[in-house]
Amino acid sequence: MKIELEDLTKRVLGTGDFITIDYAKCNNCDCCLIICVMNLWRKKEGKIYIVDDYQSKCLECAACYQICDAGAIKFQYPNGGTGIVIEKG
Amino acid sequence: MKNYDLIIVGAGPGGSVAAKTAAENGLKTIFFERGRNPGEKNSSGCGLGPRMFRDFPKMMKELTPEECPSMRAGIAARNYFINKDDIVSGYIMARPTESVSYEPAKSWITMNVYRSEFDPWIAKFATDAGAELKTSTLIVDLLKEDGKICGVIDEKGEKYRAPIVIGADGVISTVARKSGLRKRWAQNQVTLTLQYDFQAPSEKIDDIMGDETLAVWWGSNFPASYQVFFNDGFHQGLGNWMNWWDKNPLYYLNRVINLKYYQRLLKILDAKPRELQSHLLPWLDYPFNTHTDGVILIGDAGGFPCPLEAEGIYPAMVTGKLAAEIASEAITSGDVSKVTLKKFDEEWQNTSIGKEFEAGYELWNIWKALPFSPKETMSWFVPMIMEILGGIFDWSQPHAKRVRQIASHVKSYMPKATPFIMTYVFPLIAKVFEDDLDKLMDPKKIMKVLPKLLDMLPQKKKKRGG
Repeated sequence: MKIELEDLTKRVLGTGDFITIDYAKCNNCDCCLIICVMNLWRKKEGKIYIVDDYQSKCLECAACYQICDAGAIKFQYPNGGTGIVIEKG
Repeated sequence: MKNYDLIIVGAGPGGSVAAKTAAENGLKTIFFERGRNPGEKNSSGCGLGPRMFRDFPKMMKELTPEECPSMRAGIAARNYFINKDDIVSGYIMARPTESVSYEPAKSWITMNVYRSEFDPWIAKFATDAGAELKTSTLIVDLLKEDGKICGVIDEKGEKYRAPIVIGADGVISTVARKSGLRKRWAQNQVTLTLQYDFQAPSEKIDDIMGDETLAVWWGSNFPASYQVFFNDGFHQGLGNWMNWWDKNPLYYLNRVINLKYYQRLLKILDAKPRELQSHLLPWLDYPFNTHTDGVILIGDAGGFPCPLEAEGIYPAMVTGKLAAEIASEAITSGDVSKVTLKKFDEEWQNTSIGKEFEAGYELWNIWKALPFSPKETMSWFVPMIMEILGGIFDWSQPHAKRVRQIASHVKSYMPKATPFIMTYVFPLIAKVFEDDLDKLMDPKKIMKVLPKLLDMLPQKKKKRGG
């Protein structure tokens, strides 16, 4: 059974980044690549990055922030009234 | 700058009960919610526990389907056992048993309600009591003067002042982070839990599930997965500690969904995926660093979910109420220091939550080793338990021979089962029954007796009358 994830979330799009990476701290452990349910973290030419449109896909679980023992991933919930809307949680 | 007696960050069930309690004590109280409404950002796992109805009876008796249309009681629970070939090799259904001592626990195991309905409902008790609810507002920092915490700052830079701040802001608590109480959880103190919500017609759920509207899928290829039915849909979710995952967590949840048995269930229930949710959930053997000068952490922010199965709403409400009572006393006395707020720990340790955490390590440890270690443990535990429960329902041999076959097969699991029982089960039993059983559970004694017991299991059939 193939489930289309894109159809399964609603959100009020906000402005401004709420997840950022500090390359001075990233040690390329790749933990963020595994933990993100939506697969928003990627690696290209040895460098970790988050996809450009993460704001329209992120589930706001903060797993990438929590798993990053190097403290390279900064996370703050999106501004009040924006971001994911969970209707059936 | 706005001045209050008490600030609560978070309008989940814990924050709302804290706000209600504080407002009833006459404190000028504000509580903040980052969503447009309480519950907009939240998910439930297995619904509301019966202790909520016992300990908050006035409030909970007002919870009705008119208020929260998604309500459905999880009366009986199914436990599916799935082997390493992803086959459902048996299941046990259980209703509340004869020893359950009070209502509504005698009538159901959980009461399932979507948080988008429940959280606004419970927040209204606080606003009715006079607390101010500010929604669509993200608190990003604590206000400090001379190094002392004296309020909060929102994302627009607006400042709110109060002698005490209660952190009811969930697992990644800004209040915990900014007060220095916790930088980040250890990876084995927090789980990632994800779930699908499926829609299904109410009548289909009634006809097919009846009142068996709670289920745990105990898997050998995925961590234990829960299924919780609401009025017109259900959740299917699973989780594990952060340091467990070796693949995208969705891979494991999809293994449940793709079980043949599960696909059949989806088909007959006419169920369609409706929502995907992912959250972190603190899951500790014991809460720590729950307070400091001018700050108390409650609910998920304080690490209070149950150490065995992570029930979170009830502990949030209990700790929310206590925190507000202690804050009221502290504010009246003019002393909001860490030393005074230490009373919070003393008080929660005396509640039902505190009793739960007395065996916190043993409960946490056994859960980690059993349902959350599918490949290591469940892969032999499931066939072993099904051999015992299901092996007898068979007429492939004379029944006496079958019993010997079963006993001999169960014995073959002992090299794995014995160390497991010694390491995880006996310490838990000893803890639960306190000192009396300590001596009985002496590992040396057990090791003496156990091999003898095993030898009593039949090696081969003896000749009758020989």
